[in-house]
Amino acid sequence: MPELDRLHGLRVVADPDALDAARWQGGDITVLRLAPDDVFAIAATGVDIDDEHAIVESEPGFAGAWLPVETVAHHLEWPLPTERPALAQGAIAQVPARVWLRDDGDALLITAAAYADELASRFR
Amino acid sequence: MSISPGGRIVVDGSPVTFEAGDSVAVAILRGGEVPGRGGTLCLAGDCGNCLAQVDGVAYLRTCQTAARPGLRVARHPAGVMPALPVAAVTDLTSTPLPATVALHHLETDVAVIGGGSSGRAAAAEAERTGKSVRVLDAHDGDEVVAIYAGPTIVVRTDHGMLHVHAHEIVVATGAAEIHPVVPGNRLAGIVTARAAEKLRAAGVDMGRLVPVNGDLVRFEGEDGHVRSVVTQDATTGAQTTTPADTVAVGLGLAPRDLLARMADPVPVIVVGDAATDQPLPPPPTEGVICGCMGTTVADLVDAWDRGYTELELLKRSSQACLGPCQGGACLPNVRSWIAAKTGQVPDPFTARPASRQITLAEASAETYVDAFRKTPLHDEHLAAGARMDRFGGWWRPWHYGDAVSEYWAVREGVSIGDVSTLGKLVVSGPDVVELLERLYPCTVSDIKPGRSRYALLLNERGHVMDDGMILRDSEMRFVLSFTSGSAANAEMWIRDWIDVWGLRVHVLDRTMSLAAINVTGPLASALLQRAGLADTPRFLGHVRADVAGVPCHVMRLSFTGEAAFELHHPVDRSIELWRALLALGDDMGVRPHGLQALFGLRLEKGHVIVGMDTELDTTPRRLGMDWAVRMEKPRFIGRASLERTAKLPDDRRWVGFTMPGPAPVEGAPIWAGGEVVGNVTGSWESPLLGRALMLGWLRRTPFPTEVEIDGRAAVVTPTPFYDPEGHRARA
Repeated sequence: MPELDRLHGLRVVADPDALDAARWQGGDITVLRLAPDDVFAIAATGVDIDDEHAIVESEPGFAGAWLPVETVAHHLEWPLPTERPALAQGAIAQVPARVWLRDDGDALLITAAAYADELASRFR
Repeated sequence: MSISPGGRIVVDGSPVTFEAGDSVAVAILRGGEVPGRGGTLCLAGDCGNCLAQVDGVAYLRTCQTAARPGLRVARHPAGVMPALPVAAVTDLTSTPLPATVALHHLETDVAVIGGGSSGRAAAAEAERTGKSVRVLDAHDGDEVVAIYAGPTIVVRTDHGMLHVHAHEIVVATGAAEIHPVVPGNRLAGIVTARAAEKLRAAGVDMGRLVPVNGDLVRFEGEDGHVRSVVTQDATTGAQTTTPADTVAVGLGLAPRDLLARMADPVPVIVVGDAATDQPLPPPPTEGVICGCMGTTVADLVDAWDRGYTELELLKRSSQACLGPCQGGACLPNVRSWIAAKTGQVPDPFTARPASRQITLAEASAETYVDAFRKTPLHDEHLAAGARMDRFGGWWRPWHYGDAVSEYWAVREGVSIGDVSTLGKLVVSGPDVVELLERLYPCTVSDIKPGRSRYALLLNERGHVMDDGMILRDSEMRFVLSFTSGSAANAEMWIRDWIDVWGLRVHVLDRTMSLAAINVTGPLASALLQRAGLADTPRFLGHVRADVAGVPCHVMRLSFTGEAAFELHHPVDRSIELWRALLALGDDMGVRPHGLQALFGLRLEKGHVIVGMDTELDTTPRRLGMDWAVRMEKPRFIGRASLERTAKLPDDRRWVGFTMPGPAPVEGAPIWAGGEVVGNVTGSWESPLLGRALMLGWLRRTPFPTEVEIDGRAAVVTPTPFYDPEGHRARA
């Protein structure tokens, strides 16, 4: 059963163009574009963004675990994208979740921390 | 089937020796017993005459179950269906049942069901064209139990369930043998011709074996076992009685097309004997026609005479073909019997999954109940002895062992509650005030930063969708709260309207990023002061401040009727804050309260819970909440409908009731004048007021003032029942 650890970073909702041009602060940042106007930047500590109404919040609400992509694929009823890197979103083991697919074949399984125990239990 | 080299199985408590390759049924027959409770054995999986309980699982076809050492077999009781096994689960709400059966998926171009000559030929042909092929055959351990749209073939294997997703499906399941329907056909010792061949090949001693290929009159026997068979010369009519230990009947074939009939509308290709029309057997006149259900020919006559003169109706009325084999043994005889009555052969009926009896664990392999969320305080609740329950998509504490004590802590001291489940949205942008004015029926522009307002959320029909708070952070930024189950819907609703109206507003759902603890009771302010919040906000105010070192958005409101402060804070700081509040308030008697106490507290205040008290067409007027609607606003969602429905008669009201004694169950009918005039939506025996308080609907006009609930007299009572002026919430 995978251990899903809490992910920390910044959540930013802003104009899509402003998000495209955002300058992130912090090290080893992974920027996940959850929607055109919504980013979760893992490990980011700050952002410069050209949108005075942007909502910028510290985000402790996600948990994740790195897994072989085959392990994640076993729990999907939909095809994973073939391009890499890619972010896929949908039901994984029937839990709302996301998967960040890296070039090296590993996948970061992400879900809301409130679902973490449930999702992990379904990966037995 | 996986093959064991031989050994012993246990049948009804006694050891039975089996040899390599034996099925359970063959092993039992080798031991001189019968696997079922009589009737013709086909040993091909077509009938229900060898069903038994194997290793605790009932309704298994023992002819399709490989014998292996130590297998425990219990034959089904004679004449009755065995009871379904019941899982020994003490509390279905506490722990989801574990998934014990693995599920695998396989994608293939062609799936061939059946590994006989026709199936192998079909597979070879597909492979020649470069297609990937999977042959599914029970003898190789792939027992197909269902075909669903998709298409998906559901297969039981030795390693769990397999879902085969195939572009083409070939059904090559062959043919089944006709079962005899004559008097005495439930005796043991009758086998089909093919079954006799199998037993002979397996070296099973069948005693005096008499083959019969037609002209069958009856079987005769004693002690439940066949002793002779009576046949009749077709020309002379002379009857002959032949002593027998085993009778092998060869009465012809019928397409084994159950899976093909199940597949519709999934296109399948049926080949070989499964696709070959065969002559029906002669119409039976006497005997058991459906061995699974015990239906006799006389039962068919009775049903027919009562007017059930079509196959589907006759089936339901007589129960023929409704047993575990789904007509595998009896359908040709039933069709023949109907054909003799009507002169027309009825088409076979549509088959339904599953073609084999599968366990609930197999049926639900790797499927789950809805995922329920846990707040960051979940383990704290469990450690405090909470009984958890599902509510609004979350696991929530129902109580911590004593809901009444939790109630008194709120009314007389201080208590904390986990309200992390509340929906929380941040909205920001230059058009945000315009957006909220259009969304909500209350005014928004006059809410000052640092202040908040209770609001209903209406749909276009003016019906209440949800309720919550509007909290203003700054000129162009607000926080909106919603009920626990509605955050996702509210976000979609708001985003849709932003798009429709073309407004410049950003939306962020913070429901699962922020936890919330409600500190409530007359001593709530004192506790928060100990936690470092020197100046608590006044009623409906909100501030951002550290509480016990944790950054919080502190909101002053009240659902309990007492002073209450919601502390919204990052989910990763929640345990720290919860424990600090319990420690700081220890000498005040602080304790957590669960939903049961909270629902009682709110009921005393007459507060509505949207979704629990409301219906799909509940309007503010019906709730008595017109005060939450500003019809002088020129525009908001639902306004036109409210304007129209305001002219209609007031025919439904949500009101309060009181009566002595214990509270009735929620949902209880409300009676007046001998008829049901409404129902209770919430009830609570108030420890403080000493009587049953209820909220509920009246749906008859003129609205009665005296009603009967739970067989007792109750009176309509204005709400709030407690502190109607609201002094305590504002204290």
